[in-house]
Amino acid sequence: MAGQSDPSLTIFSAPEVEFLGEDEMVEIVPNIRMESLNMICGDFGPFFPQMASKVPLWLAVALKKRGKCTIRTPDWMTVERLTQVLEAERESPREFQPLPFHYVDISRLLFDHARDDIPDAYMVRSLIEDIRDVRFHKVETGLEMISGRTYAVKLKNLSAMEVNIVRPFMVRTLQAFYKHDSPEMTQQEDFVGSRRPQVADRAPRRDLRPR
Amino acid sequence: MKGRSLKLREAHKGTSSPSLCSVVWGLDGCHVATASAADTAVSIHDAAGQPPASVTSLRHHKDGVTALAVSPNSGTLATGSIDHSVKVYSFPDGEFQSNVTRFTLPIRSLAFNRSGSLLAAAGDDDGIKLIATIDSSISKVLKGHKGSVTGLSFDPKNEFLASVDGFGTIIYWELSSGKSVHTLKAVAPSCDSDATLLNVLSWSPDGETLAVPGLRNDVVMYDRDTAEKLFTLKGEHERPVCCLCWSPNGKYMATSGLDKQILIWDVELRQDIERQKFDERICCLSWKSNGNAIAVIDVMGKFGIWEPVVPSCMKSPTEGAPSAQARHAKGLLLFDDVDEDPSTSGSLDDAIDESHGESAPISHKRLKKQSSFDDHSNEYTDGEKELAHQIESRKRSTSKLKETTGRGKEECAISRKLTKAKTQEAFQPGSTPPQYGKRRFLSYNMLGSITTIENEGYSHIEVDFHDTGRGPRVPSMTDYFGFTMASLSEMGSVFANPCKGEKNTSTLMYRPFSSWANNSEWSMRFEEEEVKAVSLGTGWVAAVTNLNFLRIFTEGGLQRHILSLNGPVVTAAGFKDELAIVTHASDCLPSGDQVLEVKVFNISEGTQSVECRLPLTPSSHLTWFGFSEEGQLSSYDSEGVLRVFCDHYGGSWLPVFSARKASKSEDESYWVVGLNASKLFCIVCKSPDSYPSVMPKPVLTLLSLSVPLASSDLGAADLENEFIMRNLHLSQIQKKLSRMATADLDTIALDDEAFNMEASIDRCILRLIASCCNGDKLVRATELAKLLSLEKSVRGAIKLVTVLKLPILAERFSNILEERLLNELKRPAVVTGLSSNGTSTKNAPLMKASMTSEATEVMQPESTFQPSTLPKPCLTKQDKTESKKVGMAEPHNDPKEETAMATSTNRCHQQMDPFAKISKTQEVEEKDKREQHMELCKNASEGTAKEGVNQVNTRSAGEGNSNEAANQRQSHRPVNPFIKSANNQGKSSLLDSIKKMKKADHEKDEKLNNKKARV
Repeated sequence: MAGQSDPSLTIFSAPEVEFLGEDEMVEIVPNIRMESLNMICGDFGPFFPQMASKVPLWLAVALKKRGKCTIRTPDWMTVERLTQVLEAERESPREFQPLPFHYVDISRLLFDHARDDIPDAYMVRSLIEDIRDVRFHKVETGLEMISGRTYAVKLKNLSAMEVNIVRPFMVRTLQAFYKHDSPEMTQQEDFVGSRRPQVADRAPRRDLRPR
Repeated sequence: MKGRSLKLREAHKGTSSPSLCSVVWGLDGCHVATASAADTAVSIHDAAGQPPASVTSLRHHKDGVTALAVSPNSGTLATGSIDHSVKVYSFPDGEFQSNVTRFTLPIRSLAFNRSGSLLAAAGDDDGIKLIATIDSSISKVLKGHKGSVTGLSFDPKNEFLASVDGFGTIIYWELSSGKSVHTLKAVAPSCDSDATLLNVLSWSPDGETLAVPGLRNDVVMYDRDTAEKLFTLKGEHERPVCCLCWSPNGKYMATSGLDKQILIWDVELRQDIERQKFDERICCLSWKSNGNAIAVIDVMGKFGIWEPVVPSCMKSPTEGAPSAQARHAKGLLLFDDVDEDPSTSGSLDDAIDESHGESAPISHKRLKKQSSFDDHSNEYTDGEKELAHQIESRKRSTSKLKETTGRGKEECAISRKLTKAKTQEAFQPGSTPPQYGKRRFLSYNMLGSITTIENEGYSHIEVDFHDTGRGPRVPSMTDYFGFTMASLSEMGSVFANPCKGEKNTSTLMYRPFSSWANNSEWSMRFEEEEVKAVSLGTGWVAAVTNLNFLRIFTEGGLQRHILSLNGPVVTAAGFKDELAIVTHASDCLPSGDQVLEVKVFNISEGTQSVECRLPLTPSSHLTWFGFSEEGQLSSYDSEGVLRVFCDHYGGSWLPVFSARKASKSEDESYWVVGLNASKLFCIVCKSPDSYPSVMPKPVLTLLSLSVPLASSDLGAADLENEFIMRNLHLSQIQKKLSRMATADLDTIALDDEAFNMEASIDRCILRLIASCCNGDKLVRATELAKLLSLEKSVRGAIKLVTVLKLPILAERFSNILEERLLNELKRPAVVTGLSSNGTSTKNAPLMKASMTSEATEVMQPESTFQPSTLPKPCLTKQDKTESKKVGMAEPHNDPKEETAMATSTNRCHQQMDPFAKISKTQEVEEKDKREQHMELCKNASEGTAKEGVNQVNTRSAGEGNSNEAANQRQSHRPVNPFIKSANNQGKSSLLDSIKKMKKADHEKDEKLNNKKARV
């Protein structure tokens, strides 16, 4: 990860995560005719007015800034879907609902740059904020359970931003536990103990890499 | 008219001045509720009793009561008052139940729906409230009327609510969505000034027609779905009708007019059959649900019951109407067969009586239990004597009615046609129907859209182009004409409005988007003529009028041509020089099929290129009509079939898309915008809407065209579809090619395209052959092999079948190939004999194509080895070509070079050929031989055709020509059909090849110099 601001702590800053999130594909409706754009990451277009096409978010935002397109709100960013997700989040205290990995970043970018393209923008925004709060709360309560005997914490469907917030804490906690463990524990679980921080360190990263 | 008079008794005292009173029957037919706007009390009268009947007075309202409604299922009575409240009582005992709702202004009208679950209330407030009766909650507020709403009526099928306001505007509301479906302006008399007069309207019990008092002292019937005027009841009313009600079976209607009389109409015959005069104006009527009686109340608050209303010699007004219970159970009204077929009612009396006896006894038994008033049920129970009497009386009436039925039959036939199968109205492709208070499309095409919104009598029109980067910016326009038709092209827009009333004449207006002269927009007015459809193209504007005139104007407004069309216009579309017009060829068939005809005019040449029928799916109508991006005439009907006109079989329509097959879910419909050779551009609409709304901006969806193929045993529907579509496309290209060739235009690009298309068809055929072989359909495979257009592909096919271990096929394919080669050997001889330039031959475009597509590539192999090997080999090569040219008399006797070239071509084939893997050396050799052979004959033909003329020049002047000849020679190589697209390759390496060409030229000059030096 060349773009990491602090490689030693394996931490991304929020803008860095957002940068990674910009590679997500979104649908745009261009209002101009344009030949296809040949980028390093692939060719996009050609674009025809009023015909939807898929481009990465960064390109969508760039076109939107120039007034060349409108961005279509992703499926999950509708009031109904988000209300469902929010309810489900509230109902199940342990599980996380599947949302796009970069949902926080995508919605943030869309709210910053394409607010006029989102129907019920205010409602959607407050729903996403609620969902985010509920999930962060869950993450926090989940982390409270970590003790010296914890081998693993199951955090399925966690999004990029959430992982990023949890990561330094997790790593350090596990390191601390490791340090303070009794010597015989250490000897017994030398194999496990020595690997544990690494696993915690790498797992989120592995998720990021393909994106 | 009988001289009976009806005695009215006082129900409401009130003041001496006239005030609005209302009356309503209870469902059981035993009670009548009355109210007066001048009295706070509602009275419930026992109708069964004699004059000193018991009267229950309900005094809960604080002001006059203006509206009454009885729930059809349970015994509730709703009352609306000037004191802004709606109250509900139990009925008939008159127990106060609740205040349902409150308004801010007086209530004018109330209505229950057929199941009694909804109560609609409206008045001077600006919204109609729909109240769920179960919990008195407001389920919807329908806003749209400008004046106070005075009449409400629920459609018996519970789909629509019709409302009318004081200005005479009628709105059809869709109950499910709460949206207005149709708005009819100023169709009922305006009564806003008179408080004692309310506009009313009423659905027929079968829900098919809506009756509204008309402007000409008549009653106008509107269609349920289209809101079109069906017919009018016009007769003895001397002043406007103020109240009307249907008989329970919908056969009769009672109307009261301002002329203080009530008329009873036979709706089917559209004739008044009974009349009653009163001292005062009757302001409310109510037909007893199970009897031949009407309760009336006049403006002075006097009410009475008129019984029997319909003469006993005629059919009972309740006959065929389901009883109250049946109605609850079903919720819908279903007629007996007898009533549905009015044309037989006069002549086949006995049969009717029989069928009546058979079909209706159940309902009649029910009626008998409920009421003793029903003369019909009496008649039925009283046995055969009565029945015989009845039949006799009927017969008498038959003779009376004979002449009227004769006329009536015709009218009925017409009216049925009107209601069931109508010739379709004129429309503009890409327009959406008007919606109140919403912007709508006047025109939407691939270029942009024209939208309009009505706002306080004026409309605002906006023109938007989809491509905001390229299209001109058009300022929005205030439209004082009320344009309903428009069309848009790159150059300008044309608008037209129909004539509305006497003062507003039909106008046609053209606005160019850019012009060198000021004030270049123009308009035309049509006196006593109405524009029905407009269209425009490059440099012309066309309008079709109701007189079936096609008027063609130039861009500047010059009236160029006026033509008469064969029938009423349906729609028109323009594309560049071409104008296509669809007209009705005849009245539509009883099955509902439209009979349409299409004509295509070429405006600049003044010719008519196409005249044919426009086919439609049975009982559908045309919904879109226009040209594809390439200029192919296309149509789309309401059943979702897209057709394209092509030259096959002397001009025919090919179905190329079916929405049924394409749509994923039932509730999706496609609103067509345009199409190109392989895609349909449309807007996907979700179920309740069949057309898009302006906001949010609709997004075009691309759907692949697919021919409605039968599901074949091959299991390769995609390939078969591709095969047909591409063949269609190829035929289009070839048509264009031949047209351009006759016009002596540059056809290189098209040649390329045609060649690419042929190559892709071949690829498709090869895959089809493969799947045929897998499916063991060998005959079909042979047929397919015959269709291959390039002999390269035939070879591919041979390879394919050898790999698939089908020697029989391989043999057959080889035969096909040989035959082909022989034919091509013969043909050039004929060609050279016949023509010198070779354009008239059929495969001339093919050869040309191979030439041109190679032309850009040609330089590459040559120039790639030039820099590395330097002048010497080039020189020898040059020498060779030179020598060959010299020895033109015996052409191509240089086998070494030939084989060299053939192998080089082979090399490049091996790179691109998907079958290269399976090619065997011996085959290559064989192929080489054949290629040589082919080249020989091709060269022979081309050489003799082209070079034969300037052979001498070539030899003498040599310099430029040698280069050209070299190119030509190399271009004769057979071209690989598996090249993806020669065009693309050409483009990508265009710059390169230009560079290389320059280099080559340079080098050639050098070479020549060298050569000269040597010589």
